[in-house]
Amino acid sequence: MSLNKEEKLVSEIRELLGDRVLDAKVQRLRSIFVTVRAQDYKESIREVAEKYGITHVSTITGADSGQTIDVMPHLSCAGVKITFKAAIPKTFAEIETLTDVFPGAVMYEREVHDLLGVKFKGHPNLARLVLSDDWPGDVYPLRKEYKVVRPEPIR
Amino acid sequence: MPEFSVIVGPQHPALKEPESFTFWVDGDDVVRTEVRIGYAHRGIEKAAESRTYIQNIPLIERICGICNVAHTICYTQNVEYLYGREIPRRAEFIRTIIEELNRIHSHLLWIGIAGHEIGFDTLLMYVWRDREVVMDLIEDMTGNRVSTALMTIGGVTRDISPELVTKLRKGLDLLEERTKYYEKVVSRESTVLSRVKGIGILTREEAIKHCAVGPTLRASGVKSDVRAEDAYAAHDEVPFEVITSDTCDLFGRVVVRVYETIEAIRQVRYCLDHIPSGPVRIRLPNTPPRGESVSRVEAPRGEDIHYVRSDGTDRPARYKVRAPTLGNLAALVEMLTPKGDYRVRVADIPIVLAGIDPCMCCMDRTARFIEPSKDREWVWTWNQLKKYAKARR
Repeated sequence: MSLNKEEKLVSEIRELLGDRVLDAKVQRLRSIFVTVRAQDYKESIREVAEKYGITHVSTITGADSGQTIDVMPHLSCAGVKITFKAAIPKTFAEIETLTDVFPGAVMYEREVHDLLGVKFKGHPNLARLVLSDDWPGDVYPLRKEYKVVRPEPIR
Repeated sequence: MPEFSVIVGPQHPALKEPESFTFWVDGDDVVRTEVRIGYAHRGIEKAAESRTYIQNIPLIERICGICNVAHTICYTQNVEYLYGREIPRRAEFIRTIIEELNRIHSHLLWIGIAGHEIGFDTLLMYVWRDREVVMDLIEDMTGNRVSTALMTIGGVTRDISPELVTKLRKGLDLLEERTKYYEKVVSRESTVLSRVKGIGILTREEAIKHCAVGPTLRASGVKSDVRAEDAYAAHDEVPFEVITSDTCDLFGRVVVRVYETIEAIRQVRYCLDHIPSGPVRIRLPNTPPRGESVSRVEAPRGEDIHYVRSDGTDRPARYKVRAPTLGNLAALVEMLTPKGDYRVRVADIPIVLAGIDPCMCCMDRTARFIEPSKDREWVWTWNQLKKYAKARR
């Protein structure tokens, strides 16, 4: 399998974003990962989206990496999935919203906010999406410190 | 006339996730729509972190009953990407066959439901009778009607025999003949046309803006299909046409699904003709190497995307699933928003909701009507609302 197309895209993105790219790699055929700093997150994505005419964000994944939370929007660019990655500190989990670049990101940001407690600055409405209305405000189930308690069997 | 709020759900308005919709109506016109989901949030992503990769297969299969094949293919190939290993070609063909059979069953199910929602129950009865053919084929192939339990990491659990191939061919011939008949019905029958044409409008620009997926996106004239863009399993070899429609309404969504069913039948036939011999699975170690991976599959409802992160243990550190219905939710709200000459009526709500094919649990549903100015409220069952909808037209 030749990964020329993906490698070319990675080098083009490196060139476009310069030293804002912390890491960029080809994961497999038609999927690449680009890591940027949290403060460059939105501008980098906007520039890449404008250059390649990207309009589709498939989803936004949030992942707990210990001290930080990774925010990962998955963009579709001519058949290649570009996953951006920005790490934000858990104690101050805030990042800029993508909703003005991709209006379709509204639901996905609400979901990440609900489950991992990431605040998206500038989001039109960060109301609860998947958790129930009476869920405690500072408990985020997808963070690692949240442990699932297994119910005891009834004897 | 004062605005009413009509609450539909959460005991679900259409398929899969039970959702709660609040429709603000002025007379018979819907003015705006609010949506609240999460009633079926089962914490599968969290649960996946505490199970081994193999134990996760049955869990992932239960994300959705109807499109369980799409989710399991997406999961298993995602883990295979972590290993960086390719599976035997025969297994890839079997995956494609079962995936397309699953698509046929899902689309036929939807056409039946659509017929039911527009008050054309004859169509429901006929389509669902013929859907039994594909259900039986799936049962013959996997041992189960719905949850197929066919996927495993490194391939598939069962091979297909020559007798089964003969059976499949026979079943496919019948399905093709019937689906072609339904294609005629939905494109000519006035009972259908008067209820789907010009309803649930989603323009091409809106569909792209709201990141719609699957048949909903393709019915708005956007040629986008994961099978074509990110060819997984045997889709790099199996020829097929990406079906689109530029009517941007419910009619387009019906037509796209009918033609996709025919296209799926052809794909299965191609797979049966060209399936190579060989093993159907490879053994992989229990623990994949460190890393992360993104995998995509075209589920019957649209793009299904999974993300996995491995920390070098036998359990995933993070597993993320985005099912296609969530991708279509913003588009659905757009379809229910009037603009210019386009009006949305209360009578159109059931079919527009069903139009994105959200996964259906056959629950009884009620709608609560509130008149805020008079402090009056009353309850209609879904059947009463539908009766009202039919009488209105």
